[in-house]
Amino acid sequence: MFKYGISGFESGHYMGESVYKPDNTFPQQIVERGGTTLLRCFQCGTCTGSCPSGRQTAFRIRKLIRWAQLGIADKVLASEDLWMCTTCYTCQERCPRGVEITDIVMTMRNLAVEAGYMQEAHVRIGGFLAKTGHLLPLKEPMMKARKSLGLDETPPTVLANKKNQELVLNIIKETGFTDLVKKGGK
Amino acid sequence: MTEEENGTSEGEEGKAPTEEAPRIGVFVCDCGLNIAGSVDTQSVADYAGTLPDVVWAGRQKYTCSDPGQMLIEDMIEEHDLNRVVVASCSPRLHEPTFRGTVERAGMNKYQFEMANIREHCSWIHLYDKEGGTDKAKDLVRMAVAKVRLLEPQEETKVRVETTALVIGGGVAGIQAALDLADSGFKVHVVEKEPSIGGKMAQIDKTFPTMDCSICILAPKMSEAGNHPNITLHTYSEVQSIDGYIGNFTAKILHKARYVTTDCTSCGDCADACEQLAPNEFDIGLATRKAIYIPFAQAVPSQYIIDMNTCLGTEPIACGKCKDACEREAVDLEMNDEVVEIDVGTVIVATGVDVYDATAIPEYHYGEYPDVITTMEFERLVNAGGPTSGHLVRPSNMKTPKTVAFIQCVGSRSLKNGHPYCSNVCCMNTIKDSLLIREHYGRDLKIDVYYMDIRAFGKGFEDLYNRSKAEGVRFIRGIPASITEVPDNHDLRIVVEDTSLGRVLTRDYEMVVLSVGMEAAHDAEKVQHLLTLSRTSDGFFLEAHPKLKPVDAPTQGVFLCGCAEGPKDIKDSVTQASAAAARAGILMGAGEVTVEAITAVVDEDLCTSCGLCAKVCPYHAIEVDTKAKTPAHVIEAACAGCGTCAAECAFGAIHQRHFTDQQIEGQIDQATASKAEDLVLTFACNWCSYAGADFAGVSRMQMPPAARVIRTMCSGRISVDFVLRAFANGAPTVLVSGCHLTDCHYINANQQTLKRVEKLWKRFDKWGIRKERLALAWVSAAEGAKFQETITKMSEIAKTVTAKEIKETKDIIARNYKFKAEKMARARAKKAGADPGAANKAKAKAKNGT
Repeated sequence: MFKYGISGFESGHYMGESVYKPDNTFPQQIVERGGTTLLRCFQCGTCTGSCPSGRQTAFRIRKLIRWAQLGIADKVLASEDLWMCTTCYTCQERCPRGVEITDIVMTMRNLAVEAGYMQEAHVRIGGFLAKTGHLLPLKEPMMKARKSLGLDETPPTVLANKKNQELVLNIIKETGFTDLVKKGGK
Repeated sequence: MTEEENGTSEGEEGKAPTEEAPRIGVFVCDCGLNIAGSVDTQSVADYAGTLPDVVWAGRQKYTCSDPGQMLIEDMIEEHDLNRVVVASCSPRLHEPTFRGTVERAGMNKYQFEMANIREHCSWIHLYDKEGGTDKAKDLVRMAVAKVRLLEPQEETKVRVETTALVIGGGVAGIQAALDLADSGFKVHVVEKEPSIGGKMAQIDKTFPTMDCSICILAPKMSEAGNHPNITLHTYSEVQSIDGYIGNFTAKILHKARYVTTDCTSCGDCADACEQLAPNEFDIGLATRKAIYIPFAQAVPSQYIIDMNTCLGTEPIACGKCKDACEREAVDLEMNDEVVEIDVGTVIVATGVDVYDATAIPEYHYGEYPDVITTMEFERLVNAGGPTSGHLVRPSNMKTPKTVAFIQCVGSRSLKNGHPYCSNVCCMNTIKDSLLIREHYGRDLKIDVYYMDIRAFGKGFEDLYNRSKAEGVRFIRGIPASITEVPDNHDLRIVVEDTSLGRVLTRDYEMVVLSVGMEAAHDAEKVQHLLTLSRTSDGFFLEAHPKLKPVDAPTQGVFLCGCAEGPKDIKDSVTQASAAAARAGILMGAGEVTVEAITAVVDEDLCTSCGLCAKVCPYHAIEVDTKAKTPAHVIEAACAGCGTCAAECAFGAIHQRHFTDQQIEGQIDQATASKAEDLVLTFACNWCSYAGADFAGVSRMQMPPAARVIRTMCSGRISVDFVLRAFANGAPTVLVSGCHLTDCHYINANQQTLKRVEKLWKRFDKWGIRKERLALAWVSAAEGAKFQETITKMSEIAKTVTAKEIKETKDIIARNYKFKAEKMARARAKKAGADPGAANKAKAKAKNGT
């Protein structure tokens, strides 16, 4: 029989095929990190119906919540879908069970990154931040454009102030963000 | 802490509670594993055996079983016991059982006491056996202290008026009235609408049998209207209900109908009338005249004038109806009138209201004409409705080709509407889908959007299968939104079919919102009329959810129909018959015994100050403050709240079975507890004690901090009690009672509030931390609030140091004189102004007898 685990069930087999191994601690991790409403969901689908992203893509927010409830961590963390949410909060606004869906998505994204599933674009942009203290790199065309507008080539941010830049970079490093980005994505 | 140190007395002038010395038996119950699972009952029983005056103590598996009760009887005989303590469940459950047991063995049943070690202990400390066991010992010690001082009492009997009042004339109220009337009792039915019939009269067909609703209801309505034992008060409201079980007096407001009973409902008046208003019975889908009859089958069959629509009572303004009526039944001079009736029992059948779907903006109900609710649908398919039974789109009056039903609108939602399931909507929609099939065949496409179909009743699943076999599509998913397609009023639904994981966008010509039920909007008024309780959902709370499902917590009051919770017609009728039977039992007996817990005045000590009479909610105390005659209690009117006893500064009035000495005995034993986070808790029988029981039944875990002392009303808690607890060394004290407007003794808990506020002021002045004394209003349904309060208080208790306790003791000793001291002095003075006697009495008081 097909067994899911949420409280002590072992992973099961379905028609001879090995299925996902549930990690019973996964829903608990989400709960502990603020997603206390996760277990309330009764899968009515109001969220997916409300989801602007799901109307254009194969993203099904209801399913993501279901995988999370069942502790199928891999299915959530490694999923591209996790990053398809635009965090518009419509689902959370309409959920009849008061599940804080969008907040839970954010929690799961944090867990994904910790588990090494950082998206390539995020690795890149995070790299800039860790290196310069600035999300966007300052490049030639931008500098030219600034100059033509009568502005300084370098904006008055940490880029223009070495001392402050060092301080910011230190904060980024101390909080572990630099290492997180270095670890990158799988 | 012992009595010697706090300077107050336990025995009144050393008077022994009874002539004979106490011989106490303690029976500790395992309740299977309910108690023994988390309390070491053997050690509790062993401990009980060491307590003073306990001559027998033991434990049993099930004390309430026949062998358990037999053991109690045997031990009473064998050991000549004159007092018994059973440590088991809540006295609200089994006190009557064990009182019967000890009575059979020849004991007075008032010399029995229960220690609640299940709801208040084992069930709420499931994982703390040590703490739970210690607490159970404390509770037993408190019960033993009380039982030692309990006196035998004689109960009085009260006559029960053999007339019933039924509030609400829907199908439940009609059924209850008919059952009682057929049993030979007089019944008054009060209905706020101009006709009886309620919601059932508006519905087209009923599930699962597909009977015509009004066809099966109308005969019952007319039977009620013609029954010699039934008096209908339609277009009327209950203004007030005073009194107590068997002897209620209700004031009923008859609102002016402006049409007399001479009306033959010929309709000539309405033909003449030119003023229009939306027809309430058709939920505004049609109009009616200012003079109208709600519907063809209305009972009484009598017209009524809606004065908000009528041009006015001045015949000069219009008066066309008056001219048209040959019977001269139109009386524009008619006034409201109030009638007073005496009844013995009351049945509350006030029904429900329907959820207002305009609260869900994404469904645009009330904005898009073709989004309708279930009740509107019922009127549209009803032959007596505005379209003569033709289902049409309100936007273009044409029959729709596609209809969608959306389930759970306003139900099972923590956000929009109510968290509970409304119980009838699934089956109602299934029935409606079959009605459409019946009228329009398969050409009309029907989709039902749902999250769970609850077809749990007899014949329900069959009906569900029939609907599926008829090609009605059930799609599992709740639509996220409805938008109107420009130009043609079609309604576009976006929904995930959750079984496929596909997002569907579908257009329909009509959408029916399957709206849920909510507590009647005037339920709060009815609640206050009868001092009932309501659950967090707003429905009336029953005395016991399983075993007294139609009894209200107020004696002599019964509940039926949707007033108690959402239910279908069959369940409403079943419950109505049950309520009628329960009321009939009382009235058939013609009398009821009342508990011997009324107040008694000690004329020697009474100073005729009149304070007791002032706080008595029932005006049951007579005192002439000018002539200085002692106070006198009218026993039949006394309800036994004990507020007078708490108010008297001289201890001159006491409540039987809840005397100062008895309660102080409990306080002293509770404060002798070793628990460092002790929360000495006073709880009233009806709400907060029941709320604590509810926490137990729901297994809400909390620290084993509370030691609960039960009184009938929080109004019984005197300033003395609270200060005695603190003087004894209690770190915290909690006073709890019914919510202010829900007091079961009219408003006695207002005195509780006053006393606690007074104490807080004193604490401020004396420098005692105010948060150590808490006041919490906990209803019988608020187990969670009790849990929260105790948990919080236990935390506060832990912050109270031994030094602080010592300081508190000193402060109280310096600043406060306890009643017992005053009593001793007063008695000594009366005894003969001998200073020696006064000192002796004082010394006696100090030692505690």
